[in-house]
Amino acid sequence: MSAKNMIKITNLQKYYRTEEVETVALNNLNIHVKEGEFVAVMGPSGCGKSTLLNIIGLLDDLDEGSYLFNDIEVAKFKERGRSDLRKHNIGFVFQSFNLIDELTVFENVELPLVYTNVPAAERKKRVEEVLEKVQIMHRRNHFPQQLSGGQQQRVAVARAVVNNPKLILADEPTGNLDSNNGNEVMQLLTELNEAGTTIVMVTHSEHDAKFSDRIIRMLDGQVIMETTSLGS
Amino acid sequence: MIKNYIITAVRELNKKKFYSIINMVGLAICLAISTLIILWVQDEKSFDTFHKDYEQIYTVNSILQNNDKEQVWPTSPAPLFKFAQQLPEVKNASRVNLEESATLVDDKKKQTYSDIDLVYVDQNFFSLFNFPLHAGSIENFQQDLAAILITQNLAKKLFGEESPIGKSIRKNNTTFIVRAILQDIPQNSSIRFDAVIPLTFYAKRFTENGGNGEWKTIDEDLGNFYFSNYIQINKNVDPAQVAAKISDYYKKAQKTEVTIQYRLAALKDIHLISPEGNQTARRTVQIFSVIAILLLIIGAVNYINLSTARSLERIKTIGIRKVIGASKKQLFFQFVIESVIIFSVALILAILLILLLIPSYNELAGKSLAFTLSNPEICIYLTCTLLGTLALSSIYPAIYLASFQPVQSLKGQSTQQDGTNRLRRALVIIQFSISIILIICTIVIRNQLSYMRKMDLGYAKDQVFTVPLSDEHIKHADAIISELRQSTSIAAASLSGFYSIMDYGNATGDINWPNKTKENQAIVGRATIDQNFIPLMGMKFVAGTNFTGLPSDSSSYIINETLAKQMGLKPPYIGAQMSLHEVPGKVIGVLKDFNFKSVKEKVGPIVLWTRQFKGTLYIKSNADHIPEAIKTIEKIYNTTPSERPFSYNFIDDQFDKIYKSENRTAFLFNLFAGVAIFISALGLFALSTYSAQIRIKEIGIRKVLGASVFGIVKLLSREFVILVFIAILIAAPIAYYLSISWLQTFAYKINLNVFTFILGSILSLSIALFTISLQAAKAALANPIHSLKDE
Repeated sequence: MSAKNMIKITNLQKYYRTEEVETVALNNLNIHVKEGEFVAVMGPSGCGKSTLLNIIGLLDDLDEGSYLFNDIEVAKFKERGRSDLRKHNIGFVFQSFNLIDELTVFENVELPLVYTNVPAAERKKRVEEVLEKVQIMHRRNHFPQQLSGGQQQRVAVARAVVNNPKLILADEPTGNLDSNNGNEVMQLLTELNEAGTTIVMVTHSEHDAKFSDRIIRMLDGQVIMETTSLGS
Repeated sequence: MIKNYIITAVRELNKKKFYSIINMVGLAICLAISTLIILWVQDEKSFDTFHKDYEQIYTVNSILQNNDKEQVWPTSPAPLFKFAQQLPEVKNASRVNLEESATLVDDKKKQTYSDIDLVYVDQNFFSLFNFPLHAGSIENFQQDLAAILITQNLAKKLFGEESPIGKSIRKNNTTFIVRAILQDIPQNSSIRFDAVIPLTFYAKRFTENGGNGEWKTIDEDLGNFYFSNYIQINKNVDPAQVAAKISDYYKKAQKTEVTIQYRLAALKDIHLISPEGNQTARRTVQIFSVIAILLLIIGAVNYINLSTARSLERIKTIGIRKVIGASKKQLFFQFVIESVIIFSVALILAILLILLLIPSYNELAGKSLAFTLSNPEICIYLTCTLLGTLALSSIYPAIYLASFQPVQSLKGQSTQQDGTNRLRRALVIIQFSISIILIICTIVIRNQLSYMRKMDLGYAKDQVFTVPLSDEHIKHADAIISELRQSTSIAAASLSGFYSIMDYGNATGDINWPNKTKENQAIVGRATIDQNFIPLMGMKFVAGTNFTGLPSDSSSYIINETLAKQMGLKPPYIGAQMSLHEVPGKVIGVLKDFNFKSVKEKVGPIVLWTRQFKGTLYIKSNADHIPEAIKTIEKIYNTTPSERPFSYNFIDDQFDKIYKSENRTAFLFNLFAGVAIFISALGLFALSTYSAQIRIKEIGIRKVLGASVFGIVKLLSREFVILVFIAILIAAPIAYYLSISWLQTFAYKINLNVFTFILGSILSLSIALFTISLQAAKAALANPIHSLKDE
């Protein structure tokens, strides 16, 4: 039995408007992502990959079209509904790590649990588990600036998964890392995917894309090709 | 959750130490100074409110209608009390006669105590006012003509640790026995005294001394106006109605044609409104209250400006938190908690600052204010101020920060930056408008006070000092003066009845001249002088001549211009007939008006004559011989045995003493205005630092392209300078209005000129420019390589 769709986006239109010009960022775009799938989105700069990822992550609005998340129409969700859905279902990993400088490794990872009102003891347990998993436990009391890029990204991944999200959205997760650290992070994402987490990853790197099940290639706001990853 | 908020906030504040310190110190100074101002305001407003029935107690002022002008005296004749008591509207009444600077002698210890303020009071005094006993009893006080009550303070001074009850103390020829000790008079009491003697004693002595003309008892004496009559009226009674009845009674009881009216002045207003209705003191209290609020606004504005200005730096973190799942509400509380932490630290700093400043503040303000957190009023005030300022300054930035869109935030962009820039500019304008208003008002106050200080008083006060004489010395006054004249250190000496030329209250209504009309009644200042006084003081004659020192002086009067005008005299004035206390005589000279009262009031009429009591020696020393002159007079003084120890007073010092309160107010105003300006400048400094920081890349590019340091300073300063200019345009008319209304309370005042406003504007612009340039120059001088590499 094939897995059901986690994400189903139909006829998505997204415009960026300034006072004088309207730019089409995503044009009549249709994609779906199945539960447990690892999808890579590729394409040249400005093709709309990150915009798509933001829309999937409910960080940005779509102007037209439908977005079903686990069969629920979320396109018209208000800020509060989006925030709720986000914090319980989606984890984010960014190219620039986006850790909060004022918080330690432990506190950064703990933050999503704080926002979902998980009790302190439970938080501690889960944060320690996930820090062990990404092998950064020994740095739990350090601040982000005290870590290498690879370590920071491992913390970011830990933070993305601590709430056991069903979906991880990764925006060029290895873009700021050297190849060794990049491979480590990709390995981590693969392990998470094998454990059942759905992953959508935007990348420029063919090497990284090989870790995915399927590659969606985009150009000028449209999907131009979908291929099954050779590496999978 | 809260723990997380607190940790984040503390680290955030620690990371941005510069802003945190500016925020906290700025707020702490604003909170501390505004609290000190409020303490002062509370104290000023609390005068006489410790009496249980203070809201119903009034004092009777005498009003003399003099053509279209009126003269007001805070005292009135003693019999009014008797009449007031009979009125159904009056619940209680008491009369008080004050004798200032009395001398008490302890014969056992052979000690003399001068400068004691004595009051003669009736029994009702203790039921009308709350001056509680500390020890002893006041039963049969009025029947006991040898009784004296003293305050705890005086008791300590006279008897140290010994129990004063039953001890004797002498005043002139009468020995009094201390019957009770009164608790010290609260500092916020307008009625002040050190000792109390029964009015029955005073009344008896009045009659024994022959009374006042046909009036043989104080209950008949309608001619002397030296009693303070206090009455307590029933609730809901119109004081004007009671005053009208008293005026009617006086008219009927007084046999001659006089047009004296009486008016009731509320006890609670006595401290802030002078009998003449001068409201400078009340206006000052209002102005200070406004300054306290303005200071809090300036503090809050600083906070809002710095919080929103820093938002660009924080925007990314906000975005991350939103992506992770923080709701608007959660972010809002996080920022509010940050504000609460800043405010809490500011509060602690403010309390420390208050405790540190209060002794010097009390000295400057001439008060004994106490700051204690166990005072519920202070706690309520601090809590309300804190919550109010916190709400005012934290809610907007919190809402603003929490409402960033996550995607833009992550890119470091804010969609609302334009809006907050406008708000920030508006707030800078408000802040600087307030500062400029205060600067201009400070200049106006300073100019007015300096004008008063330098005003031609109508006499020369340099090198002149006075020596109060005892009865024994007065008997030998002529010998003393001729002895003094032999000293080379003394330029002139004179004997006079002016106990103080700066604040002379001796006056009478018993003056007559031909054609004096019923409408032209006057209470006229009256002083006794000798022929040396006018030349010694350097007073100028408009017409006529001085006294001669011959017996013919006894029918001569010298008057001032104001009295001449009031009498309707026309030049050459001389030879006009008049009588004082029914002693006929003629005017031999008219003096140019001189100020014998506060220069806040217009010069009143005064008549000088040579008869009656002269108790004060006026000495003008030769320049550079002042210490010798003092030594000479002290030596001569001490050759005559007396109970009054030698003392002297320079007129210059008397002047400073009289204007002490004005000088204190001006000093406090300068201080508060200075703090307001400092805090505004602090805010501008932080804001310009920030502005330079966010434009650091632009500055780098401009420098690489060849911009000069001056060009960059100009670029960074331009916006703020425009804002300060707008603030000047807003502040000038407001400052003008405030200055005009303040100056209206003075009889002699400066003219407001454009220069004051230009000076105020230049001053504020300079402060702003200096503040901004410090940071702008730093940014402009930085090596562009660093800023461009920053990406």
